[in-house]
Amino acid sequence: MVLSLASPPALDAVDWVALAQFESGDWAFVREQLPYLARGFVVTLLLTLTSIVLGFLAGFPMGAIEVYGRGPLRSFVYGAGVVLRAIPIVVILVFMFFVAPIPLPGGQFAFDVPRVGSVSFGRSAFLAATVGLGLRSAAYQAQIFRGALQSVSGGQMEAARSVGMSRLQGIRHVVLPQALRRSIPGFQNEFTIVLKDTSIAFAIGLTELFARADNLFTQRTTATLELFLFISLVYFIMTFVTNRSLDYLGDYYAIPGGDR
Amino acid sequence: MSDQHSGTADGTDTSAATASGTEASDTDTASADAATAGAASQPLLRVEDLQKSYGDETVLRGISFDLDKRDVEVIIGPSGSGKSTMLRCVNRLTEFQGGAIYLDGESVMAMNDNDLRRRVGMVFQDINLFAHLTALQNVTLGLRKVRGMGKEAAREKAMDQLDRVGLASQADSYPAELSGGQKQRVGIARALAMDPELLLFDEPTSALDPELVGEVLEVMRDLAEGGMTMLVVTHEMGFARRAASSLMFLDEGRIVERGPPEQLFDDPEHDRTAEFLQRLTTISEEV
Amino acid sequence: MSGERSTARTTLARAGEGLPTGRSVGLAIGALFWAWLVVRWVTIWAGYSEPFFPVAFFEGLATGFENDALVMQQNTGALAPVLDFVAGFWFLFSDVASFVAFAVEYLPTLAEGAWLTVVLTVAGIAFGLVIAVPLSVARVYGGVVTRSLALVYIELIRGTPLLAQLFVIYYGLNMSQYFRGVSSGLLPTTAVWVAIVGFTINSAAYQAEYIRSALESVESGQLTAARAIGLSRIDGIRHVVLPQGLRYAIPGWTNELVYLIKYSSLAAFITVVELFESGRDIAGQTFQYLNIYALLALFYLALVLSATLFMGWVEDRVAIPGLGVRDGRE
Repeated sequence: MVLSLASPPALDAVDWVALAQFESGDWAFVREQLPYLARGFVVTLLLTLTSIVLGFLAGFPMGAIEVYGRGPLRSFVYGAGVVLRAIPIVVILVFMFFVAPIPLPGGQFAFDVPRVGSVSFGRSAFLAATVGLGLRSAAYQAQIFRGALQSVSGGQMEAARSVGMSRLQGIRHVVLPQALRRSIPGFQNEFTIVLKDTSIAFAIGLTELFARADNLFTQRTTATLELFLFISLVYFIMTFVTNRSLDYLGDYYAIPGGDR
Repeated sequence: MSDQHSGTADGTDTSAATASGTEASDTDTASADAATAGAASQPLLRVEDLQKSYGDETVLRGISFDLDKRDVEVIIGPSGSGKSTMLRCVNRLTEFQGGAIYLDGESVMAMNDNDLRRRVGMVFQDINLFAHLTALQNVTLGLRKVRGMGKEAAREKAMDQLDRVGLASQADSYPAELSGGQKQRVGIARALAMDPELLLFDEPTSALDPELVGEVLEVMRDLAEGGMTMLVVTHEMGFARRAASSLMFLDEGRIVERGPPEQLFDDPEHDRTAEFLQRLTTISEEV
Repeated sequence: MSGERSTARTTLARAGEGLPTGRSVGLAIGALFWAWLVVRWVTIWAGYSEPFFPVAFFEGLATGFENDALVMQQNTGALAPVLDFVAGFWFLFSDVASFVAFAVEYLPTLAEGAWLTVVLTVAGIAFGLVIAVPLSVARVYGGVVTRSLALVYIELIRGTPLLAQLFVIYYGLNMSQYFRGVSSGLLPTTAVWVAIVGFTINSAAYQAEYIRSALESVESGQLTAARAIGLSRIDGIRHVVLPQGLRYAIPGWTNELVYLIKYSSLAAFITVVELFESGRDIAGQTFQYLNIYALLALFYLALVLSATLFMGWVEDRVAIPGLGVRDGRE
C-alpha cells in the first residue's frame, strides 16, 4: 500500500533506502498540507449541511404532495423527481453552474475558523453545488418520506378522525410523528450519499476537500496515492461518525415496542 | 463431544420398556427382522444417556431408549420438555454434550453429518418446503444433489413418492399454491425419497388448520403400517393410540414414563403422565 | 447515490417506476431509442459516423421560422397583435428546430460515448456480482474472520467516495500500466479497463450489501431443511438459500444498475470518454451548454428508464408464486 507503483522496476534495481525517504517525504507532504486540507474539510461539511437542509426543506413537501396531493402539482413533483433521480449528479452540478437561470453571486466567501484559519471559496460554485446536491437530495428524500408516510397504516388516520381531528390534524399529530421516525434509516443513507457526493463539486471548481487534494496532486504528483488515501480516510470517518450519530438518534427517538 | 458415559441413573432404567413396546400385532415384523442378519440383536436406534444444554440451560438430562426397525415411537410432553431438541440430536441438527446415539450400531458422532441425514429423514413443524421449487423439485433436489441421481431417474422416483402421499397431480405447483396439509405431505415425500432408515417427525401437524390435520395423519399411518421406523413428536392422541408401538412421556428433559400406548392411556404409573394425558384429551375434544 | 437504498421500504424509491401515463407509449419510445442506438453503434464501427438525418434541413427550418417570425413582427396593420402572438410560436418552433439540428449533428458523438457508459455499467454490475455473492455469503454465513473481512471491505468501499477510489487506482496506483497489452485496435483504452476495475470493486460492495439483506430475509428453516435431507452447508446455501435470496435482491439490484449508469459519468475524470465526457467535449467546442446538457439529460433518462423497465421484466420472468412478495418479512 505504501509502495508507489508509478513505474515498477525490477525488484533488485530498487534503491530501497531512497525509496523509503521518498515515500515518507510524500506522507510528510500530506502532513505539511494538513491545514490546507482542513480548510477544504470545512467546506465539505458546510456544503453537506446546506445541501441536506435544502433537500429536506424541498423534499419533505414533495413527499407529502406525492402521497396526499393530486392533479398537476402532483404530476409535476413526480416528474421532477424522476428526472432528478435519473441524471448523474455531475451533470446536474455542471448544469447548475453553467446553464441554470439562477443568479449566482460572484466573488469569494471567506471567514475564519478557529485553529484552521481563513476558509475561502467561490460563492457561485458553492451556491450552484448546494442547489444541485440539494435538489437531487430533495428528490430522494421525497421518496423516503413518501415511503414512510405510506407505511403508517390507514387505521391510524381513521382513529385520529374518530376522535374528532381534522385530516390535517391527523396528518400532523398522528401520521407525521410516526413517519418521521420511520424515515431515519433512509435519511441516514441519504446523508452519507450527499456527504460523499460533495466530492463531485470539484468538477465546478469548488475548493472542498477533494478539489484541494486534486490541486495538491498536480503540485506533487508522487504524493497522489498518499493524498487520495488520506482524504478517503477522512470521508470514511465522516460517514462512520454520521451513521453512528444517526443510529443513536434513531434509538433515542425509538418508540418502545414499535419498529422504526 | 464424546461417547463418554457419565452414568447418571436418571431415565436409564426406562430402556427396559422397549422390549414390551414392540409386542402389539407385529408377527411379520419379527420375520422381516430375522431376515436381516444380526438385526434382531441390535436396535436400529439406540440413545444412551443423552444430555444437551444451551449455555446454562439444561434441556436434556440423560435420555436413554432403544428403537427397533418398524417401531413407531410417539413422544409427548409439555412445551420446553426437550422433545424437539432430542429429535434434532438424532440427526445432529443440534450437537449434544453428553451421552451417545447409535444408528444401526454406529455412533452418529463418528458419521459424516450429511451421510447421517441421508439415512435419517425429518419432517418439520413449520414444513420448510423450499419456497423457490415446485413440489416435484422439492423432492428431486436431494436425489440429484445428495444422491447424485440422473434427472430422469430422480424425477421418476420423486413422482412415486408424491403418488405415495397422494399429490402426483400437484407435482408442478409451487409451495405457495398448496394448502398447508398438501405442503406437509410434500415435506413427507421429500424425506421419504431419500430412502431413510428412520423418519423423524417434529410436530408435523401443529402448524396446520384443524381441518387439514387428517390428511397428514393418514399418510403417516400408512407409513407406519408399511413398516417405516418413525420417531414422532405429536400431540395427536388418536394417532398415538392407533399407530404407535410405544409412547414416551418426556418432562423437564427426562423420560417420565414409556410403554405401549394402551398402558399409558389406561393405566399410567405416574400421576404426572395421567394428568398430562388428561389435559391433552380434554383439549383435543374441545377442538 | 441510489446504490445505498437497501431497506425494503425505500425500494419504492426506484428512479423509473414506470411512467405515470402511457406505459405502451414509453415502451415504444424506448424500443425506437434502442433500435437507433444499436444501428448507430454498428454504423460507427463500420466507419460511418455522419448523422442519419440532414442537419442542414433542420437548420434551414430554424432559419425559416425565425425569418417568418421577424417578418410577422414587422407588420403594423390591424392584424399586428394576432401576428405578434403567432410570431411567438414561430420563434419557439425555430428554437425547437435548431435544437433538433444540434441534436442530429452531435448524436453520433454522444452515441459513441453512450457505448462506453453501457460497457462500464454492464461490466461493473456483472463482475461486481461475481465478487458480491461470495462476499455476502461470507458476511452472513462466514466464520469470525471471513465475516469481519467482508464487513471491513464493504464498509470501507461504501464509506468513501467513488471518485476518490477511481483516483487512487488510476493516478495513485497507476493501474493503467497493467492493461497496455489489452488496449490496441478495437479494444478499449487502458483508462476504460481501470474504470471497469474501479466500478467492479465499488459495485461489489454495494451489491453485497443488497444481497446480504436479501439472504437474511430467507427464513432460516430453509437451510435447516436443506441440511436435513443431507445437503452440505455450502450446497444448501447454493441450491436453496441463494436462489431465493437473489430473487429478493432484484429491487436492490435495479437500484445498483441505475446507480452505475449515473456514476459511470465519473470515469470522465480519469480520461474515459463516456457519455458525459463526450457531452463536455461538445460543450467545449460549441459553447451551447443548454442544448448539450438537455441532450445529456434526455440520454441518461432514456438509459435509466430502460434499465428500470428491463429489471422489472427480469423480476417478472424469474418470479415464483409466493416468492419475492415481501409481506410479513420486514
